[in-house]
Amino acid sequence: MSSAQIRFLSLWRREISRFMKIKKQTLGGPLLETFLYISVFGGALGSRIKELHGIEYIVFVIPGLIMMAFATNAFTNNSSSILQQKFLGAIHDQLSSPASPRELLLAFCLGGFVRGLIVATLTFIVAVILTSLPVDHVLVLIPAICLVGFFFANLGVLIGVRAEQFDDVAFAQTFILTPLIFLGGVFYSASLLPQPWETLTKFNPVYYMISLVRYGFVGFTEVNIPLALGALTLATAALFLVNLRLFRRGYKLRS
Amino acid sequence: MPASPEKALEIVDLQKRYPNGVEALRGVSIAIEPGDFFGLLGPNGAGKSTLIHCTTGLAQPTSGQIHVFGHDAISDYGEARAAVGLAPQEVNLDQFLTCEETLEFHGGYFGMRKQDRRERTKELLETFSLTPKAKERTRALSGGMKRRLILARALMHRPRLLILDEPTAGVDIELRLELWHYVQKINAEGVTILLTTHYLEEADQLCGRIAFIADGQVAAQGTSEELAVRYDVANLEDAYLALVGRRELSRSHVEGGVTA
Repeated sequence: MSSAQIRFLSLWRREISRFMKIKKQTLGGPLLETFLYISVFGGALGSRIKELHGIEYIVFVIPGLIMMAFATNAFTNNSSSILQQKFLGAIHDQLSSPASPRELLLAFCLGGFVRGLIVATLTFIVAVILTSLPVDHVLVLIPAICLVGFFFANLGVLIGVRAEQFDDVAFAQTFILTPLIFLGGVFYSASLLPQPWETLTKFNPVYYMISLVRYGFVGFTEVNIPLALGALTLATAALFLVNLRLFRRGYKLRS
Repeated sequence: MPASPEKALEIVDLQKRYPNGVEALRGVSIAIEPGDFFGLLGPNGAGKSTLIHCTTGLAQPTSGQIHVFGHDAISDYGEARAAVGLAPQEVNLDQFLTCEETLEFHGGYFGMRKQDRRERTKELLETFSLTPKAKERTRALSGGMKRRLILARALMHRPRLLILDEPTAGVDIELRLELWHYVQKINAEGVTILLTTHYLEEADQLCGRIAFIADGQVAAQGTSEELAVRYDVANLEDAYLALVGRRELSRSHVEGGVTA
């Protein structure tokens, strides 16, 4: 193994070690939250709504919940980890090492990605046990969910680097991320909304992410899948490049 | 300008202006020979920490050159940083990690192999009397233990240049003497040391050469004796007081005043 590989793996292991040490908060909490969503929307609302577009309501909702779990955990992990380390000065140990900006950025990104992946996978397992969730298009599902995770992991890095206080991270999560996810069609189909809400939903990028993941699981979609996948790939690559530029410049990391 | 390969640290005309307009360094030049024990003295805000941050990649110089054992700290930062160990002024340990993990991860950041990391961690925990605390999180350590761990972390990857930024600030006498003995030992083994401190007796006893830095510039450099001659005073302390314009605080002056 080369020195660069050892460096990268160490940086990545540190990120994973951080959230594994507080797993009641970082894994247990999000899992309970998702379980509650499944109970409420499956048990309570599902018994009244029955079906959407010919799909059992809880099965229609679960792909969105899995995506939401992946996205919020990847985002929260990275934004909190970076801000905490900046706050304590502990990030200096990594910044003064021979690690390149790309190694540092990838390690942070993949830390949050793994946390999101664990929560999403456990949610999927629970969903498979409790419901009859299919996987119709695995070749769309895997790249779509990975891109979503990597996009939000990068977004978390961006917010964490920019943030100067914990309020900055909370603001982004509460006032930007959560509304975009909830209004992106996790719990409903955009085509059921009255105008102008149906059209407005289509301006929400998260709507396309949910649609991709939902298509991967249940085969239902209201969007052009290749186009949505292409746009998500481009957006994720662009965000990564923006972060890489910030890391190279040392923006709010190096004085 | 090509760096002299024989220098442990060569800084040429280093300038650092922060985005808020503060000029922390205004053309600093320093050369430290391999094996030197070099002291950097100056009042708070003189630019000592900024100089260290520029050397270790924590701050980006506005202009000038920094070479560590011949490696450019900007364009060849990987090699330059690999040669440097930094024990910073502030306690910046990761509170999520144990003592053992702190050293183990640090070694990993510097590309050390697993077996080497394991052995070096064990050795340093033993050296700094931290073995009983190996599995404890850093937040559970006393202030003195945190200082020891920071020094152990700086030494983990076997740096050729060790930078100690006020390592004994706020520590008890026992630990201070312990740290002195240890850094003298590793200096004798060939590690170059750059020390910043406010304790003049510390600099006097430990450092072969000393630079006074004030207002972002090197005001004078040399041995303790040379600095005393330069300021026409009896010792390093008086030379420092002359530098900061407080000759009236000199012990000889005060004692003389009391006697009279």
